Amino acid sequence: MKALVLAAGKGEGLLPYTEKTQKESITVLGKAIINYSIDGLKKSGVKEFVIVVNERGNQIEEEVEKLNVSFETVIQKRQGIDGAILDGMEKIDDDVFILSFGDIIAPYNFYKSLMNTYIMSGKQAVVSLVPVSEGIQTYGLVKITDKLRIVKESSTLALAGAYIIPKGDFTSFLDYIDFLSSQDKLAYFIWSEDWIDIGYPEDLLYALEVLLKKKESVISENAEVSKTAIIGKGVIIEDYAVVEDYAIIKGPAYIGKNAYVGSYSLVRDYSSLEEGSKIGAYCEIAHSLIEPFAEVGSKSYLTYSIIGKNAKIGASVITASYPPHVLTRPRFNKLGALISPNTSIKHGSILEPGTKI
Amino acid sequence: MCGIIGVVANKESNKLAELVVSCLTRLEYRGYDSVGVASLSNNFLEVRKAKGTVEEVVKKKNIKDMSGFAFLGHTRWATHGPPTDYNAHPHTDCNNEIAVVHNGTIRNFKELRDELQALGHKFKSETDTEVIPHLIEEYMKRGMDAFQAFKSAIKIIQGSYAVLAIIKGEKRIFFARRDNPLIIGVGEDKNFIASDIPSFLPYTKKVIIIGEGELGYITPSSVYIEDEKGNPIDVLSRMQIIDWDASSASKEGYTHFMLKEIHESPIAVKDTISGFLNDMETVKEVAEEIRRANRIIVIAAGTSYHAGLYFSLLLNRKGYTAIPLIASEYYNIKLSKNDIVLAISQSGETLDVKMGIKKFKEEGAKIVSLTNVIESHIARESNYKLYMRAGPEIGVAATKTFTSQLASLLFLYSVIERESVDYLEKAHEVVRNVITETEGLAKKFGEELAKKSNIYYLGRGLGVPLAMEGALKIKEIAYIHAEAYPAGESKHGPIALVEKGFPVVFINYGELDDELEKNLQEMKARFAITYSISVNKKLNFSDFEILVNADERLSALAIAPIIQMIAYYAAVKRGYDPDKPRNLAKTVTVE
Repeated sequence: MKALVLAAGKGEGLLPYTEKTQKESITVLGKAIINYSIDGLKKSGVKEFVIVVNERGNQIEEEVEKLNVSFETVIQKRQGIDGAILDGMEKIDDDVFILSFGDIIAPYNFYKSLMNTYIMSGKQAVVSLVPVSEGIQTYGLVKITDKLRIVKESSTLALAGAYIIPKGDFTSFLDYIDFLSSQDKLAYFIWSEDWIDIGYPEDLLYALEVLLKKKESVISENAEVSKTAIIGKGVIIEDYAVVEDYAIIKGPAYIGKNAYVGSYSLVRDYSSLEEGSKIGAYCEIAHSLIEPFAEVGSKSYLTYSIIGKNAKIGASVITASYPPHVLTRPRFNKLGALISPNTSIKHGSILEPGTKI
Repeated sequence: MCGIIGVVANKESNKLAELVVSCLTRLEYRGYDSVGVASLSNNFLEVRKAKGTVEEVVKKKNIKDMSGFAFLGHTRWATHGPPTDYNAHPHTDCNNEIAVVHNGTIRNFKELRDELQALGHKFKSETDTEVIPHLIEEYMKRGMDAFQAFKSAIKIIQGSYAVLAIIKGEKRIFFARRDNPLIIGVGEDKNFIASDIPSFLPYTKKVIIIGEGELGYITPSSVYIEDEKGNPIDVLSRMQIIDWDASSASKEGYTHFMLKEIHESPIAVKDTISGFLNDMETVKEVAEEIRRANRIIVIAAGTSYHAGLYFSLLLNRKGYTAIPLIASEYYNIKLSKNDIVLAISQSGETLDVKMGIKKFKEEGAKIVSLTNVIESHIARESNYKLYMRAGPEIGVAATKTFTSQLASLLFLYSVIERESVDYLEKAHEVVRNVITETEGLAKKFGEELAKKSNIYYLGRGLGVPLAMEGALKIKEIAYIHAEAYPAGESKHGPIALVEKGFPVVFINYGELDDELEKNLQEMKARFAITYSISVNKKLNFSDFEILVNADERLSALAIAPIIQMIAYYAAVKRGYDPDKPRNLAKTVTVE
């Protein structure tokens, strides 16, 4: 069965970060968001992928190529999610296909459950559902009655972004789900384990928590960790990363390939320094995601923040994170700064909670 | 939830019998009460079957000695007719030339049976299934070939089914499915067909999915499927390679049986209510006995005790003398004249309840039982047998069976009170709506409570048994110490432990909410974190609240799935397997 993966959204909840950067290409623990879906599907037996992209398709291709899977991209022409599905569907020859949203981070068993339900139910279509309690209005909700129905309220069960559906002539995906259900062709399952829909800055920070909680300490033999550095529990240090004298990686934390941690810096509590990123001396990084090749000047203090690829944060920059501004999916009561890729922040800046640059 | 397996191979061999036995063993998790196997060779169709476990029946009936090139195997969960040797599957036609196994319910079986009997067919069981081999026989008698006859039989039956048939003279297994799973396993020199993948997973990982309403046959080297309109299906396009383990395949997408079974609660309640409606005569007799009784002793253990306590409160409020009795404490009650005993047990095998019944029978009591297993030990020992129809429950923690017990007892209570039971026809919808509306919130509650070491569950009135069940559930599977009290009692001792951050869950049944509100304020004054689960009326000042709306007579059915989901998500958050809680067994058969 082929999978149709959607990666052409505007990423509105992460603007302005996503003005020039495709959301699904953001990396979390060394892996692009889209690759969490593709990897999960691959492990469930999917061999061919059609990925719907926009004009930033090269960012997606660059990431997916790392997975060694057979894929082709389709540039979205029609509007919205429905348009993306219809554009992608034209490249699918089979009667039935997997539709997967490229912005979901879930363990690969999530995709296995999807396949499993399809096989065991014998129905032509399967939808995955997750229980939600925060930002309920941001999800597509369903009500389980004799038939499953799409609703706008009075439900805490949301569509979970991975489906098996037969090709069909439809204009609205949600109406199509309702139709398949009314024809008794639809099965569903509830996914009760980790699942994150990346739509807002707080989702990225939550993803760090969820993913790092499951990881055990691994320190690459090729990493250069100073003897005077202190490495705590739940720390992953990848190849050729450098951790300088007296730095403390308290964990859970991720230090990506070729990343650099300056002397006396403290990286703690669900933080990630992605590939090639650098933080200078005397920094403190907590609950933050530092994207590839971003640089953080010395003596900076970053909490609950996301720093985009190649961004440059000057020395002595402070991000305040409390009170958290308005959170759409309030999983924490804190939110620092969202700094777009390739931007620069002046030395000594103090960024208010919820700053978006 | 019966288990079905079929195997067809090139060569006749008794090794196939061993293979079928191993497949049947892997179907045991689905729950069953009897087992049977049919074998087909060139000259002979043989059926061996009996009540009991796979191990017992295989030994007793020498099933491993059977020989043939096609085999059917079945584990039965009794619905039509009690679990007996003759009701076990496979079922055969009049001449023992056609054998059939079936999972599901044939709605029009009575009419078909009457017609077939009028045509001279002899029935040997009380099952709905037996009409199928006789129908095939009848159509073949009229000149149809085997496949045509099978198709005609399937066309005429109404209801849900996964059916396999073998017919003398045919080297193939015929199959059909509707609303019940059936999967083909493609082997090297043999093919399989089963109600689930795990049964044949050690022998092949290649599977073909059979769709709703489809039928066909498998031979040792081919598969034929056609849709409802008779169009052949391209089977190769359906082929899948399975690379997951047997346990995950059997959960049909859910991570745990427990969550799957909570989601099956609406149908369990619906089937239970419909079972009671079909057995109105017994229910009325029981109601009359209870009305006449001096005292009603309600004996049960664990979760069933909480259902029994709930029922006792309902009766006591109406002036009856109902005594809820924890089964292992049976010796504390001496029966007096005109007392009646109601025994509640999910499995019908709970030893403590059995011992209580034994004593009360010796003292001359009439016993009414409410169990989920037809003709279970406790049912057999009873004067009146009431059954839930929740289907097998695999997760150790009782979920859909508890909700079904509550529905059964509400039904019985309404009949005792000579009230209409019409309101219970909507009971399954209440359960279903509550699950949809609150699962996300229950997950959040559960994940918050997962961080705690101790919890109080408090309720008032009819909320007390549900508070007790909430505390039991989270203890059982999330291993968090939890205690339940009537909320008014909390200030007579338990409140001493409450300090900053101590979690207190309030079960607000929708009655006595003003009093409960005061208890909540008392807890908050000690800086407790308060969680409330409320039906129809909000509790002000609660830190976290789940509020649902439901017919007030069905409040218990609204609360039950919420407390179960809270416990489930707390267990998952803490990294435990809720299906297999430590130190617990599904059926407690020891003192």
